[in-house]
Amino acid sequence: MNLPGTQDYLAALPEIVVATLACIVLLIDLWSNDRERLLTWLATQFTLLVGIVLIIVQLSTDVTYAFAGTYVKDILSDVLKLFIFIGAGVAFLYMREYLRIHNEMKGEYFTLGLFAVLGMMVLASASHMITLYLGLELLSLSLYALVAMRRDSAQSAEAAMKYFMLGAIASGMLLYGMSMIYGATGSLDLREVADAVAQARSDDLILIFGLVFIVAGIAFKLGAVPFHMWAPDVYQGAPTAVTLFLATVPKLAAFAMLMRLLVDGLGPLHDQWQGMLIILAVLSMAIGNLVAIAQENIRRMLAYSTISHVGFLLLGVLSGTDQGYAAALFYTVVYMIMGLGAFGVLVMLGRAGFEADRLSDIKGLNQRSPWLAGVMLVMMFSMAGVPPFLGFWAKFAVLQEVVAVGLVWLAVAAVVFSIIGAFYYLRIVKLIYFDEAEEQAPIRGSSPMRVMVSSNGLVVLLFGLFPAPLLGICIAVFTRIELVIG
Amino acid sequence: MGIEKFLFYFFAAILLVAATLVITVRNPVRAALSLVLAFFASAALWMLLEAEFLALVLVLVYVGAVMVLFLFVVMMIDIDLAQVKEGFSRMLPAGIAVAVGLVVVMAVVVGPEHFGLEGFGEVPRHGADYNNTRELGMALFTTFVYPFELAALILLVAIVAAIALTLRRRPGTRHQNPAEQVAVNAAERVRVVKMAAEPRDDAPVPTAEPGESKEEPR
Amino acid sequence: MIVLSDYLILAAILFALSVAGIFINRKNVLILLMCIELMLLAVNINFVAFSHFLNDIAGQVFVFFILTVAAAEAAIGLAILVVLFRNRRTINVEDLGSLKG
Repeated sequence: MNLPGTQDYLAALPEIVVATLACIVLLIDLWSNDRERLLTWLATQFTLLVGIVLIIVQLSTDVTYAFAGTYVKDILSDVLKLFIFIGAGVAFLYMREYLRIHNEMKGEYFTLGLFAVLGMMVLASASHMITLYLGLELLSLSLYALVAMRRDSAQSAEAAMKYFMLGAIASGMLLYGMSMIYGATGSLDLREVADAVAQARSDDLILIFGLVFIVAGIAFKLGAVPFHMWAPDVYQGAPTAVTLFLATVPKLAAFAMLMRLLVDGLGPLHDQWQGMLIILAVLSMAIGNLVAIAQENIRRMLAYSTISHVGFLLLGVLSGTDQGYAAALFYTVVYMIMGLGAFGVLVMLGRAGFEADRLSDIKGLNQRSPWLAGVMLVMMFSMAGVPPFLGFWAKFAVLQEVVAVGLVWLAVAAVVFSIIGAFYYLRIVKLIYFDEAEEQAPIRGSSPMRVMVSSNGLVVLLFGLFPAPLLGICIAVFTRIELVIG
Repeated sequence: MGIEKFLFYFFAAILLVAATLVITVRNPVRAALSLVLAFFASAALWMLLEAEFLALVLVLVYVGAVMVLFLFVVMMIDIDLAQVKEGFSRMLPAGIAVAVGLVVVMAVVVGPEHFGLEGFGEVPRHGADYNNTRELGMALFTTFVYPFELAALILLVAIVAAIALTLRRRPGTRHQNPAEQVAVNAAERVRVVKMAAEPRDDAPVPTAEPGESKEEPR
Repeated sequence: MIVLSDYLILAAILFALSVAGIFINRKNVLILLMCIELMLLAVNINFVAFSHFLNDIAGQVFVFFILTVAAAEAAIGLAILVVLFRNRRTINVEDLGSLKG
């Protein structure tokens, strides 16, 4: 009998509290008559704040399994959840500004967003394939609905349909892979799977067969080439506020899924999945950076840019060392900060019924708002990997680990593609500073929004000058895990 | 050929035929009904595998709710069949090639070599006192209670999303008010009014033969 | 006698049929949704068969959850379909050309 006890509830307290509060937010939204949805929004942010407090109170390097091994609380899950809360909080702030500008304020944006956050938390703490699958679906279903939330826009509905179709097919593939692993190992618990895989022959055909399906499924969710087709359409078709949410924070959840499934569960098959991830990473960096150059729409361009960043993220994971995982985590967090900033600027440029997302819309931004132009400059330089901005350190950390495991050619290829990629980031900088503005409308924005976008830029700049604290957290996560296991 | 073998091949054949119909039939209603047949056939197969509860759930929940939802949507939106048909035969060869390729690869992996008689042959059947529903329930509410709660949240998200996406309040539409319907009493429902019969001026003279009458009494 | 591999090959054929269906019916979103249901059915047959032959109830529990999620997924998918149809008056995917890759 595996009845859950106090220990189990304590370990999963953040999930339980966030789930409860999410339901309360749903009820608040139902009965509030406020057109601005201020109360819903405040309750949402309060939920995230409570989550942060609960995580910090329980922060420890101990590994606790709860609910008969379906839930794990370790330092990786704690740190991931912290970053998820912070990222989601910033994203919701931008989202509110966007919805106000465009006059589409609806409480469901925040409630579905909260459920997506909960799905990400579940993914971060999954130690059983069933939990992992349910967390993934909680996240995905919320995101599909968020993309389609602008009901009068054919473009959004179309993007949501594509996202939904490809996402559902990806889930099917992932499940087929899981069924093969279940058949080969006789268990769905990732710990038991790892034990069984370690004892199996490394060329076990069934395991590799299952692994192929699982990697394909994850690649779909990450948006890695050749499973990236949905990303540009969704980024362009969804309301910018939704794009900024789904392009940034869920990448942390995807990283968690990679760690839980491939490293925790199928770690002994590292030699097999490393090869697959190398193909995905090289293709993602190549296609992402090359196709981005041809884009006229900034959101499409950022979609391809994300694809290339996913390639870098995979580089860190495929190295298979703790330092590599730490570098990948660092890269994911840095990408999230940069993505939030870049999309935040796009939100501020928009007006009611008008998305500022063509390249011509940002021409001469410096003349209209030197401050906003400066933030965008920082983001673009950082994404391109120009020192001393934060993005440089992320790329540097990942490349260092790839070289450390002897894949020098891969590091060289990554650098070459980054240099190609720098072109389109610098083109945006050129448009902002050296072109005449076609649009002279003044840029407004509420003061919280201005403060947030500024601090977002400042964070990229400051952490770029002093990357040690952030990088230190990421490294500590994995070295302490090592200590606990050893 | 034993009865088990016969049942397996019988229902497997139905399942595959139904699945083929789902992907080749152009009329969505027929496709949906073929899918229902496929679900029934697999429910029978699951019975053979001693998964009685899931077999029933598949029929009750899947056929009874999900497929009805499908049919509802199919009927609600009118699909231009001619438009949907085009391009079908163009993609057919590619589709067949993909299917055949996949089957060959997959059959090699999951074939008898790995999951054949030795190791995965006869499993002892459960006795008459075995209760699949009870076993499943015990697992669900003890070991898997955390995933169970998550599943509830997923359904909640589906409800919120479906309502947020499709509910429209149009002015001027008439709605039922269930509360009023329930609160009504017999006196309010029917009021019998007594009044004298009056002949109508424009009453039609019954000229038609009784046999030719097109209106049937309900 | 019916062994595990028979069920697995049946599921594999069903999976391949659903993938082929996705290829063939790329234009009709409704049939695509049904193909996804077929794909999940193939996975479920796999899990039930493994669960039976491994004598482990966890596989059946997973199927229980997959059925739940698939129902939720169908609800959201059809809701998006209705939104799409209200806007475009078509469910033909290739008509949806406003987003080009």
